[in-house]
Amino acid sequence: MAQPLVKKDDDRDDEAEYSPFLGIEKGAVLQEARVFNDPQLDPRRCSQVITKLLYLLNQGESFTKVEATEVFFAVTKLFQSRDIGLRRMVYLMIKELSPSADEVIIVTSSLMKDMNSKTDMYRANAIRVLCRITDGTLLTQIERYLKQAIVDKNPVVASAALVSGIHLLQTNPEIVKRWSNEVQEAVQSRAALVQFHALALLHQIRQNDRLAVSKLVTSLTRGTVRSPLAQCLLIRYTSQVIRESGSTQTGDRPFYDFLEGCLRHKAEMVIFEAARAITELNGVTSRELTPAITVLQLFLSSSKPVLRFAAVRTLNKVAMTHPMAVTNCNIDMESLISDQNRSIATLAITTLLKTGNESSVDRLMKQITNFMSDIADEFKIVVVEAIRSLCLKFPLKYRSLMNFLSNILREEGGFEYKKAIVDSIVILIRDIPDAKESGLLHLCEFIEDCEFTYLSTQILHFLGIEGPKTSDPSKYIRYIYNRVHLENATVRASAVSTLAKFGALVDSLKPRIFVLLRRCLFDSDDEVRDRATLYINTLGGDGSVVETDKDVKDFLFGSLDLPLVNLETSLKTYEPSEEPFDINSVPKEIKSQPLAEKKAPGKKPTGLGAPPAAPLSTVDAYEKLLSSIPEFANFGKLFKSSAPVELTEAETEYSVNAVKHIFDSNVVFQYNCTNTIPDQLLENVTVIVDSSEAEEFAEVLSKPMRSLPYDTPGQTFVAFEKPEGVPAVGKFSNMLKFIVKEVDPTTGETEDDGVEDEYQLEDLEVVAADYMLKVGVSNFRNAWESMGDDFERVDEYGLGPRESLAEAVNAVINLLGMQPCEGTEAVPNNSRSHTCLLSGVYIGNVRVLARISFGVDGPKDVAMKLAVRSEDEGVSDAIHEIVASG
Amino acid sequence: MILAVVFANSVGNILVERFNGVPAEERLHWRSFLVKLGADNLKGVKNEELLVACHKSVYIVYTILGDVSIYVVGKDEYDELALSEVIFVITSAVKDVCGKPPTERLFLDKYGRICLCLDEIVWKGYLENTEKDRIRRLIRLKPPAEF
Repeated sequence: MAQPLVKKDDDRDDEAEYSPFLGIEKGAVLQEARVFNDPQLDPRRCSQVITKLLYLLNQGESFTKVEATEVFFAVTKLFQSRDIGLRRMVYLMIKELSPSADEVIIVTSSLMKDMNSKTDMYRANAIRVLCRITDGTLLTQIERYLKQAIVDKNPVVASAALVSGIHLLQTNPEIVKRWSNEVQEAVQSRAALVQFHALALLHQIRQNDRLAVSKLVTSLTRGTVRSPLAQCLLIRYTSQVIRESGSTQTGDRPFYDFLEGCLRHKAEMVIFEAARAITELNGVTSRELTPAITVLQLFLSSSKPVLRFAAVRTLNKVAMTHPMAVTNCNIDMESLISDQNRSIATLAITTLLKTGNESSVDRLMKQITNFMSDIADEFKIVVVEAIRSLCLKFPLKYRSLMNFLSNILREEGGFEYKKAIVDSIVILIRDIPDAKESGLLHLCEFIEDCEFTYLSTQILHFLGIEGPKTSDPSKYIRYIYNRVHLENATVRASAVSTLAKFGALVDSLKPRIFVLLRRCLFDSDDEVRDRATLYINTLGGDGSVVETDKDVKDFLFGSLDLPLVNLETSLKTYEPSEEPFDINSVPKEIKSQPLAEKKAPGKKPTGLGAPPAAPLSTVDAYEKLLSSIPEFANFGKLFKSSAPVELTEAETEYSVNAVKHIFDSNVVFQYNCTNTIPDQLLENVTVIVDSSEAEEFAEVLSKPMRSLPYDTPGQTFVAFEKPEGVPAVGKFSNMLKFIVKEVDPTTGETEDDGVEDEYQLEDLEVVAADYMLKVGVSNFRNAWESMGDDFERVDEYGLGPRESLAEAVNAVINLLGMQPCEGTEAVPNNSRSHTCLLSGVYIGNVRVLARISFGVDGPKDVAMKLAVRSEDEGVSDAIHEIVASG
Repeated sequence: MILAVVFANSVGNILVERFNGVPAEERLHWRSFLVKLGADNLKGVKNEELLVACHKSVYIVYTILGDVSIYVVGKDEYDELALSEVIFVITSAVKDVCGKPPTERLFLDKYGRICLCLDEIVWKGYLENTEKDRIRRLIRLKPPAEF
């Protein structure tokens, strides 16, 4: 340890030198533990040895099975001693050693004896130890004592039994549930802690019985709760009851008065809990919020960091749903930007970014700039993400926000932080067209001095796609070609690919690109040379200004039409031989995701990690898959593929989902099937579709799947014809039909004879939304104005009684299948009116925009005014028809 | 759940660590994360002044007492407020056992006692006892005074 330059303090030196555990070593301590076996026990000595053992365990040292058993047996001998201090240590040591089931029996009798001891403290500790090491069978033997202990008049004994109950509930719920009456009695205890523990246990026992929880809450909110901790629990349970009662009517919300009353409690933690509960109420009104926000605001200027943190964290959450309610606290939060504690400062900043309006952006950015230099990367990432969403909210402010991002990009920082910034810039470039050129230049400057290979290659890839489409593509070439000189092989190779993309898309640049590519032929790295050679040969024209072939463009820009996992597997199984690797041998079937993953809500694509190409690539993959099937070749261009619709429940024998592919005059259903039974092989798998409820559709062909082995997904297709360009709708019932053969799971052999079988699937519907592509616009107003009102159709509709305005808005969005723009799909809680902006492309490639104003009429009735503009009169009418018939 | 209670000395060596429900392979990560957090922020902080941080959905409340820094990590119902309650109990119990904010040596001298205190305060991730007088009696196997 480096000694600071202070007056030498002799005492201190001695202390540092003679640590009681200096040079402690496991083997020696285990030797020492033999004193536990002495006939004449020395309690002081034994306690010291136990302390050493504890020290070892707490340092992360572990004992082998033999060592632990030995120590455990020795420790049990110490029950002979009557020394109280030693006994307490023994209890702790047994818990720390957590003996195995066959060893436990050694101490059981000693502990049972202690559990019935007259000394209360023996009882309490014996309960704690027994419950820690016991299993179900022993538990039934001691259950009687535990029930008594719960209502013991000594609070320590009662608490020990209750807390044990909380733990045992995880492993032996059926036993603990039988203690309900005793626990109920303990809830009325005068001892504060007993009440707290009893309340927690009682709630856990009854958590699935709504009525019982509601009764518990009702009786306790009227009575007295002694400890602030128990009061906090009660508040949590109360908000649960409120949530489950489902009442969102304002004014007479049950228990609100109780929560509000808790805001005046003397314990800070109760005040907080109540404030938090109020802010999290479903559909909370601003009248209900005000008292909670007021107490939180007071805590913002508390001298205790924990309180400031808790307050700003809660307000941060409120700001997501009710930004206006928090604006009163803005001044207090601005002063927190300079808070010593960076967690608090970051939360304050991100809250302010959410509550600020367009005019305050510039001022806020100035404050943040000073703040950024002295916080850790993890906080910076949070700020960067907040700025990204702010920019998407106020696109007109992109200039100052983009500048900010590019400035921080130049400063020091780790990979995650830099990646967050780059991702944000990419998203802004994508969503705000005006920001594209400046954003690309910022990225170019960044790669001039970027230490992260991953980011450089990602940016180069992105430049290759976006750069050629700008007004002056040539200005990016310098940055890209510099990479070929200055970077490692990976980056050099991707720079070569990017150059080739410029060459392919910008014909005028091609001769110059050729010069540069030729220079790369002398690179020291194989991959770089290979790529350069490949591109020089594919671009064609030998360096003159000619148009690039479509095939070449497809090759350069198209996605790989194989799932990478499949390619990887095939390459791994490929054995080097005379025969070259054949890429056509790689299966194209996409392994369906496991069910658990499928149920996970879709994540929004973010930045480079999952660029916009991600959703596109599934469409690409579908397109490739369909075009590889000759029967579908004459259907023309694929307009849209739906998301997979599950046709079976989770965890059934056969898992099937369907994708609807829409063509101009055809519809193809792709059934993705998975066989989840290991000892079955399915053959000749088809889906028999009954289209009697879909009059305009006529089945033209069905493409069966030859075999479906266990856990290897496969597809079967059914195609229909429909009137050209008509958005026909209908309902289809589906039956999976196949021949099932038994498979011997040990040998993998299949029986020769199979049995024909059927399996009923859910119905599949083709709806109007299937004919609409979700295509957003970044500036709805501009798009709306430029579309003009030539084919505008306006009408009003009553939607009848609805659960909430948000639900109604959501239903209409889903019905139309259009892309909500500018975040208008989110409806603020309790608002009585809302305007939603939608954009899409209708079948026949007709752009459509819709502006829908919703209003709540009477208690729940929702009415809406729908204005549609499109490039085609018929389409505007069609949209109205969808709404009218939906 | 209280995920961890960790004591470290002034140079970041672990004195006591008790994890609950944290897989063994993540413990090392937590240990170094906490020690770094302390090294970055605890300089010049007064005894028992609480600092707070969050890492993903987990909360951390930490402080310094004499030569010893103390970290408490929790999630779900053990948010920053509940943890500040836990750490308050821990610091008052440690002070009680040591008689003053401890030097590292004093802390190690009283190591066994301190382990017993922790055993009374946190039981497999749940807060059990909250008063230092009561804890003082309990670790000597004496019934609480108010009883």
